[in-house]
Amino acid sequence: MRKSNVRMNRIVAPLLSLLMANAAFAQPQVEPPPATTPPSGEEEQLVVDVTGGQRAALPIAVPYMPTPQAADTAAGNTAALGRQVAEIVVTDLRNSGLFTPIGPSGLRAVSFPQVTAPDFPYFSTTGAQNLVQGFVQANANGSLTVGCYLYDIAAGSELTRQGYVVQPRDWRRAAHRCADTIFSRLTGEGGYFDTRIVYVSETGPARRRIKRLAIMDYDGANHRFLTNGQWTVLTPRFAPDQRTVAFMTYEGERPRVMVYEMESGQTRPLVRESHMTFAPRYSPDSRWIVFSMAINGNTDIYRVPVAGGAPQRLTSAPGIDTGGSFAPDGRRIVFESDRSGSQQLYVMNADGSDQRRISFGGGGYASPVWSPRGDLIAYTRTGAFRIGVMAPDGSGVRTLTGGGFAEGPTWAPNGRAVMFTRGASAGQLYYVDVATGVTHRVPTRLDGSDPDWSPLRD
Amino acid sequence: MDRTDQAGLGVAVVGHGVVLAALAFGLMRAGVPAAVSEPIEISYLEDVALTSASPSPAAAPPAASVAPALGPVEEAATAPPLPARREEQVAVDRGPERAAPPPQRDSRDRRRPDEGRAAATESRGSQLGPDFLKGLGRDPASRTQAAPAATMSTQAAASIAQAIARQVQPCADRQVYPGPGAERIVTPIHLRLNRDGSLAARPRVGAQRGIDDENRRYAERVADLAIRSFVECAPLRGLPAELYEVPRGWSNFTMNYRMPG
Repeated sequence: MRKSNVRMNRIVAPLLSLLMANAAFAQPQVEPPPATTPPSGEEEQLVVDVTGGQRAALPIAVPYMPTPQAADTAAGNTAALGRQVAEIVVTDLRNSGLFTPIGPSGLRAVSFPQVTAPDFPYFSTTGAQNLVQGFVQANANGSLTVGCYLYDIAAGSELTRQGYVVQPRDWRRAAHRCADTIFSRLTGEGGYFDTRIVYVSETGPARRRIKRLAIMDYDGANHRFLTNGQWTVLTPRFAPDQRTVAFMTYEGERPRVMVYEMESGQTRPLVRESHMTFAPRYSPDSRWIVFSMAINGNTDIYRVPVAGGAPQRLTSAPGIDTGGSFAPDGRRIVFESDRSGSQQLYVMNADGSDQRRISFGGGGYASPVWSPRGDLIAYTRTGAFRIGVMAPDGSGVRTLTGGGFAEGPTWAPNGRAVMFTRGASAGQLYYVDVATGVTHRVPTRLDGSDPDWSPLRD
Repeated sequence: MDRTDQAGLGVAVVGHGVVLAALAFGLMRAGVPAAVSEPIEISYLEDVALTSASPSPAAAPPAASVAPALGPVEEAATAPPLPARREEQVAVDRGPERAAPPPQRDSRDRRRPDEGRAAATESRGSQLGPDFLKGLGRDPASRTQAAPAATMSTQAAASIAQAIARQVQPCADRQVYPGPGAERIVTPIHLRLNRDGSLAARPRVGAQRGIDDENRRYAERVADLAIRSFVECAPLRGLPAELYEVPRGWSNFTMNYRMPG
C-alpha cells in the first residue's frame, strides 16, 4: 500500500506539469484573489456596493468522462471507468450536502477534445454554475491517468485542474481525489473524500455480539475486516500517518490497548503493564498515544511513545479520567472526568498541567474529540445521547444531531463534518455537516459503531 | 422702624430698581437669535435625478418628460456607441398635452444619445428607475442642453451606483454562501467597461477586507463569487453615455461585494 502511494505521488507531479505544458487552454483567466493594491486614485472612482448570496446547495454539472481510446485494464474498460468516475464524483459532491450535481446521465456527451474546451453555452442552459469534466486514459505501463477539470460556466474560465496516475485497483481513489479538488476549490475547505474509516463492525444477537475491526473507504467501498471477531474490540483509532491503528481488545479476557500494524497485519500491546488499558488516541505527530489505565479502582490518563516505553501519568484526580484527545497543535488535551460528580469535559496541557473544566451543563459529556481545525470540540451528550460541539473554552455549545441515540463522534479531516454512530442496539454510521446540519448515512456491510475518520490519504 | 431699618429698606428698593432697569434694557436690545447653522436640505436619491454641471438654471421652460413605451431590449452589441455630443441629438416633439414638470426638476428624455438618433419616434424602455435621467432638457431652445454632465455630482454617482447595483443584484443573489464567517469578507473588484456596458478587461480583485482566522479559508471563494456576481449580469444596460468617461464615471469603477449575514 505504501509503495503504491509513493509511486503515485512520484508520477502525479510530472503529470501535472505535462498537462499544464501541453494542453492548449484559451479560456480567459480571472486574476487570482491575492491582495492587490487598489489603483491609484481609487477613492475618486465610482464605488458600487452589492450584497447578495444564498444558503443553498451549489448546482454543478458533471458529464460522463470520455476516454481518448477505449482500452481494457485490470479495473475494466476505460470507457466504462470514465462513466464510473463521473458517478463517484457526483455521489461525493451530493453526499456533502453542499452541492446539487446535475448529471452525469441526461447531459450531452463530452468528447475528449472538449474536455479542455467546454461547450459553455450548452452547460449554461443546465442551470449549473460550475462544470466538472475529465477523462480516463490507459497508459502503456498498465496504470491509469484520470484528468479532472473544474470550470466556471458564467465566466467561461477554468478554476483548477488535477491529473492522477493510479494503479487500476486505485481508480476509485482518483475519483475521490477529483471530488476533493472540486470541493476544496469551491468551498475553500479541504476535502474529505479520499479518506478511510476504521470502525467496529457488529453482527449477531445482543448477548453474543460479534465485533470485528473493519476498514473501508469513507463511502463504504473497499471494505475489509482487520480482526476475525474471536474477541470483542472497541475504539479503533487511526494513527495520523495511517500506518497503525490502536484499539482496545478483550483478547485473552484481558482488556487492553493493542496496536495494529497496517502493513504487516500484526498486533502488539501498547504497554506491558497488566492493568486494564483503554480509550487510546494518537497525537497529531503520530509520536504519542494517550490512553486510560485503571489502577486500584482509579482511572487516569497516561501517554506513551508509539514506539514503546514507560507510560507517563497525566492526571491524578480521584475518579475516572478518560477519553483524551489532542488538539491539532499537540499542546493540549481534552478529556472527560467525573471528578466533579458527573462526567464533564476538561482541558489540560499535554504534560498534564493546568487542568480546567470547560463543560458545565446538566447530564454528562463524554468522548470528546478535538477538531482538526482546532476551533471546536465534538462530544457525546450522555443521557440524551446527542452529538454536540463547543469551543475549546467551553463557549458556543451547539447540538448537531436531533432525536435518536447518537454517540462516538469523529471529525472529517477538514473539520467540516462529524461522523458518529446512531442506534443503541444496531448502530449505523452517519456524518453531519457542522455548518449546514445536512446528515448522510454511510453504508456499511453490517452494523457499525465507534468510527474513526482517517486524515486525507497521501 | 428705626433708622437702620429705613436705610436697609431704601437700599433694597434702589437695588430692585436697578435690576428691573437692567432687565428691561437687555430685553430691548435682544433680537432674534442668529441661527447656528443653515437648515439641511434633505433629498432622497430615488427621487432625485442626475444633476448637471450647468452653471445657471434654464430660463426657458423645460421640455416635457415622456414616459418610455416598453419595447424589446436592445442588444448592446448591435448599437455601437456614438460620441455623446448633446448638440447632435435629435429633439423629440413631446406634444403640448404633456404637463410640464415642476421647474426645479428639469426633465429630459430617458434615452441614450445613440438611441435618440436611431429612433426619434420610438421610445425604448429603460431598465433604470423612472426618474433616473431627469435633469437635462431636450428642447433645443433650452439652455440646459448646453450644460452636459461634464462632471459627476455626488447625487449622480449615487444614482448610477444604484442603477448598477440593481442590475447586478439578481446575479449576486444566486451566489452560494460558502461557510461561517464568509459574510464578513468584503471583496472589491475593479471593473473596466466598454460604452456598451460590456467588460473591457478582466475583473481585477482588490485587497479583501474583513478576513480573520475563521473565514480566511473562504477568501478565494468569495472573490470568485464577487466576479461571478458581475459577470453573470454583464453587460450593463441603460447607463447614461454622457457619464461614461467623466471623472468617477462608470467606465472604470469598483464594486464592493459581500454576502449577507
